[in-house]
Amino acid sequence: MPVVNKVDLPNIDIDLVREDLRTSLGFRDDEILLASGKTGLGVRELLDAVVDRVRPPGGDADAPLRALIFDSHYDPYRGVVAHVRIVDGAVRVHDRIRLMQTDKTADLLEIGVFTPEAEAREELLTGEVGYLATGLKTVQDCRVGDTVTLAERPSREPLPGYRPAKPMVFAGLYPTSSDDYPALRDALEKLRLNDAALVYEPETSLALGFGFRCGFLGLLHMEIVQERLDREYGVDIIATSPSVEYRVRTTRGAEVVIDNPAMLPDPTMIMEIGEPWMKVTIIVPTQHVGAVMELTQGKRASLAEMTYLDPTRAMLRYDMPLSEVIVDFYDQLKSRSQGYASLDYEFASYRPADAVRLDVLVAGQPVDALSTIVHRDRAQLTGRALVTKLRELIPRQQFDVPIQAAVGGKVVSRETVKALRKNVIAKCYGGDITRKRKLLEKQKAGKRRMKMVGQVEIPQEAFLAVLRTGEESS
Amino acid sequence: MSGISLYVHIPFCASRCPYCDFATAPATSRLRSRYVDALVREIGEEGRALGRPRLRTVFVGGGTPSLLEPEEVGRISAAIEGAFDRRPREVTFEANPATLDRARLGAWLAFGATRISIGAQSFSERGLRALGRTHQPSDVAPAVEATRSYGLAVNLDLIFGWPGQTPADWLADLDRATALGPDHLSCYPLELSQEPEEAVANWPGAGWPALERWRRRTARRQADDRGLALLYALAHRRLARRGSRHYEISNWARPGKESLHNLTYWRNGQWLGVGAGSHSHLAGVRSRRPAALTAYVDQVERGLPREVDAHSDAAVDGAILGLRLDRGIDLARFSARFGHASRDRLVSGLAKLDGRALVRWTGDRVRLTPRGRILANEVFVHLV
Repeated sequence: MPVVNKVDLPNIDIDLVREDLRTSLGFRDDEILLASGKTGLGVRELLDAVVDRVRPPGGDADAPLRALIFDSHYDPYRGVVAHVRIVDGAVRVHDRIRLMQTDKTADLLEIGVFTPEAEAREELLTGEVGYLATGLKTVQDCRVGDTVTLAERPSREPLPGYRPAKPMVFAGLYPTSSDDYPALRDALEKLRLNDAALVYEPETSLALGFGFRCGFLGLLHMEIVQERLDREYGVDIIATSPSVEYRVRTTRGAEVVIDNPAMLPDPTMIMEIGEPWMKVTIIVPTQHVGAVMELTQGKRASLAEMTYLDPTRAMLRYDMPLSEVIVDFYDQLKSRSQGYASLDYEFASYRPADAVRLDVLVAGQPVDALSTIVHRDRAQLTGRALVTKLRELIPRQQFDVPIQAAVGGKVVSRETVKALRKNVIAKCYGGDITRKRKLLEKQKAGKRRMKMVGQVEIPQEAFLAVLRTGEESS
Repeated sequence: MSGISLYVHIPFCASRCPYCDFATAPATSRLRSRYVDALVREIGEEGRALGRPRLRTVFVGGGTPSLLEPEEVGRISAAIEGAFDRRPREVTFEANPATLDRARLGAWLAFGATRISIGAQSFSERGLRALGRTHQPSDVAPAVEATRSYGLAVNLDLIFGWPGQTPADWLADLDRATALGPDHLSCYPLELSQEPEEAVANWPGAGWPALERWRRRTARRQADDRGLALLYALAHRRLARRGSRHYEISNWARPGKESLHNLTYWRNGQWLGVGAGSHSHLAGVRSRRPAALTAYVDQVERGLPREVDAHSDAAVDGAILGLRLDRGIDLARFSARFGHASRDRLVSGLAKLDGRALVRWTGDRVRLTPRGRILANEVFVHLV
């Protein structure tokens, strides 16, 4: 149902929007409703139209209960609260339910509808939308897409279309200060209560200490988790460069799954590496098609299809490795299309990859958290961009610090952070002592935010450098 | 402790040096007479409040004390006489080589001066121009000779690392300076990274953007830190051969001619500072006056106390200051003065520097190596 909202705004061009709805989505003019939530204009017509035009929910009121979970949240007093639509049958408060995919049972504590506040009811009938307070302890037991039925009178078939959430993108999350490790662990535990797709396990890095390897559904999910850790839990974290899950077949015939570049086996042990490829859909204004094509060229993407949705917008479908999507691709896409391009991607298949691990050595010491898996042809280019960036970010120490990028022990690029030769506040008389001490304290605070790798202090920004090397090549 | 040191700050200058970040003000400031009044009053009140202690040393710094009128010098002198037991071992005043005349010198002698510190900075015309100084290279020798003829000890200030200065230029400056036979030399690298907020407070229109521009432009043309470290090492070698002891990071003296007043600072002793932007360290408390003349004069006229620095840590200050001296720190004495816990903190802080050739231990005594001197902050940062 096409509705043009916010028509009370002074600068809205309703005719243009109508035109757009007609040409790009194929609506007829007489279908389009106008409304304003602020003034209430058109709201009654809108509600009437919902009644007139939307088909009433079907379903079999006499069949065993089948309710689709479309969302859930965790409530500290009532456990997991599932948001459901009743497809068949009915559910009453205090019924014992079964979740058909996870095979968990629970006694309902409360059921009700949203008005939009939660309002308790005695029962929910076929076609109704509402909530079920399950008392379950984690949202992992109550996944979106699962089917709720009654334990006493179960349905034979779950609703179709359920796919368990599978993490595609992985990154190490480390507390900035190692004292915050317990705080990060607690925060992740709490986040997981509400986020069924978040998976994590403890991980140790030589450079960053104790942290967690986390799996995310995609880039957006990763950003949201990082943002929530920062905003809601106040945990200052360093995130390593995101990685995908590689499937490595070793010379001994075993298959191992690698989601952390540092764990990639020695090249001599590898028979074949498989990496996930995605079906990527980009919708972009036609004047930016060239820029998008240019961008995808450097990303091993192959164009599968290009269609014009209307005279102004094109849809490009690509086959593309996920590893190329997750590093800097979205930002580049946005900046090259002046923010207009949209990106969507879904898993297609695993394909063989000519991939190698690019290691970074600082003062001769490998820094595991800076390792990445890259396409062999691009190892040198990426390596050069990375060491150049790191040379800018690593402060000068009291000795020359070589920074090397290496593939399987062979150095592909090298830079040197020149030794610091002078750092003294030469003049220091009566009045200066306080001021100088403040300067030293500032210098010290800066040091505290760095990670010691061997003898070298590496600032946190350096660990993000892997993400930003794309800026140079653009 | 027998007696304290007294620092008197004279902010006035004939022109502003763009690298300077001390509290300064134009010599023609309308506040000048009120400022001297405030100084006189502050000296009187502080002396009485402290119970008329003995002054071991007096240092009149600036700014440019040498451009005070004889009458102004006389008033300050009388105030000190009235408020303190004045039997100092050393009385220093700072002078710009171009502003020293016989009448003024006379006033300083009457003040009891035993020592003069002359801001020579460089003997190269290019150097003085690069530094924005207004005196001439030829002004220095006559100033030295005149003061020497009255039996005053002489310190020369030199600045190295100005844009375009070669190692040969610097060695020539050092040779010209030592040829004048000073008792004491202070050599500072040209520092451009500090924020001279205090220096801006009293100048009409402040001129901060112009100073910033000068600093940025000069910094671009200055030698890099490797170059500055070389110049510093050259001074260390050349002055040692001329018989001076490198007794503090930036200071050299002939034997027995070290600055007693400045040693008070570096030994974390007690001193009273009077005047705008001055700092004091009395009975373990650090305190200061504001750098802005109006604020300073107002504070003194209203009888308000100095602002106290609540964050100072005597042991940390003691360690940092002590390491600036070539004698370094004797652990037993440090421990006796600041306690075992502070001593352990010092030792564990310095232990982080093992193998970096920044400090050297001889028995219970620790000192900076020559490399440690030019990288002193890399040492000190582990002590705060």
